[in-house]
Amino acid sequence: MDTVLEARTLTKHYEHFSLRDISLEVRRGSIAGFFGPNGAGKSTLLKALAGQTPVQQGAVRVFGQAYADAEQELKNRIGYVPQEPTFYQDKTVEWTARFVAPYFSRWDGAGFYRLLDQFKVNPLKKVRHLSGGQKKMLSLALALSHGADLLILDEPTAGLDVVRRRWLLDELRARVAEGDQTVVVASHITDGLDEIAEEIWFLDEGRIVMHEDKDDLLSRWKRIHFRDGALPQAIEDRLVRLRRMPFGSSGLTGEYPELRDALADAFARGDVKPENASLEDVLLSLIKEA
Amino acid sequence: MDPILRRSSFYYVTSAATYLVIMGRYLLTRDWTAFEIIPMFMPVWLLSAMTASESDERYAFLRTLPVPDPTVVRAKFELVLASAAFQWTLLTAVTLARTGDGVAGRSTLVYLTLVCLVGLVSAAAGQVAVWRFGFSAMKPVLIGAIVVGILTVIGHLISLRKVDGWPALSGLPVVDWLARAPWISGAVLAALALLAFRGLMRMGVRIKASSEAHL
Repeated sequence: MDTVLEARTLTKHYEHFSLRDISLEVRRGSIAGFFGPNGAGKSTLLKALAGQTPVQQGAVRVFGQAYADAEQELKNRIGYVPQEPTFYQDKTVEWTARFVAPYFSRWDGAGFYRLLDQFKVNPLKKVRHLSGGQKKMLSLALALSHGADLLILDEPTAGLDVVRRRWLLDELRARVAEGDQTVVVASHITDGLDEIAEEIWFLDEGRIVMHEDKDDLLSRWKRIHFRDGALPQAIEDRLVRLRRMPFGSSGLTGEYPELRDALADAFARGDVKPENASLEDVLLSLIKEA
Repeated sequence: MDPILRRSSFYYVTSAATYLVIMGRYLLTRDWTAFEIIPMFMPVWLLSAMTASESDERYAFLRTLPVPDPTVVRAKFELVLASAAFQWTLLTAVTLARTGDGVAGRSTLVYLTLVCLVGLVSAAAGQVAVWRFGFSAMKPVLIGAIVVGILTVIGHLISLRKVDGWPALSGLPVVDWLARAPWISGAVLAALALLAFRGLMRMGVRIKASSEAHL
């Protein structure tokens, strides 16, 4: 496995929050998704991974190097979009691009303006006059315009309308498929990002509560629809997020491969039907469990 | 020119220019009290330039760029040093030009060197404090220091005019003693101040890398 990003026992304490003992690896050419509720520590983790904030304990290595040894080289290869991007408020979008260009060895000015055009952001507008979504788009355009090998994007779809969100998801998928780019995204909503993520991390209260390949995760987690009384009580008790409806009920299970054989007869009778769970369902179940 | 340096230099250049335009002419036309008072404004102006520059700085944005903290610290400290050196050079030049009139003398040279070095170290310390505590926390302190500086200068000017025998700072015994060899004492004082400045710069690198208050 060719590891692009690696964290070992990462720990960071704030007054009212701690990110604890985070260890992870992200493979080259993959899309890694970090999900979790607000305040789970996703943004803090991404900041630490992107070399934006110091940590009290543990280490981050990107392309095999630590920020302390090669910050300039590493940041040249990383496109980072913070949760709330900040820029010089009184300067224009165009000025901002001119400001950052000399720092990146592979800056693509034409590509930047193409992205602005795609996002419908006026380059002559001052940053203070941009909406929150437009600032996010400016941040994305900057991150995508310098040939970054690793994109670390904190809630990249927040504030984007449905058309631009879809475009961004397709673009990220295409970039990973075409070349060597690796994408790390974080979001509190699974809003489209779960579609493109291949590996999923769930965070809650500063810890990783689950890490799994998305296909494995979704083959394990199913929503079971059943007619009342059709499920053995022992199995019904193992379902979570139970929904009672007038014409039947449903519940989630993360042990579908184990239950499948036990429910074979019920499936055949049509009293019980499995359905793919959404990542949001799984996320909510895990948060409840945690 | 480095974009960070270019952007921040605007405030220092503007500050130095207004200082010289507003105050400089007094040094050319007025009596010795101008040489007592005008140099005292230099630390105030330098601190103002630093405060204005920091009020508009976006360190969180800079951190997303391939610019290591030591480079940012160096750029900021270079500006403070260049601004102080520029103002000291011009003040010294005017002092030398008016030595012939008897308005300024060797003690004036030592005095303005001392004041400029105080300004240099104060601005550098203020810069480090901004990284440590954040601009929002430091803003009242910096503005307070600027106001106190201005009031001190005004108070000193009034006292020089109204109180008989009020000691001029450029006439203090220690300044007189150093003025026996103004260029040597100036060089020693500058060396000491530059050592302190360098120490603050190294501290600034450490503090900026470990603190998040300024982000």
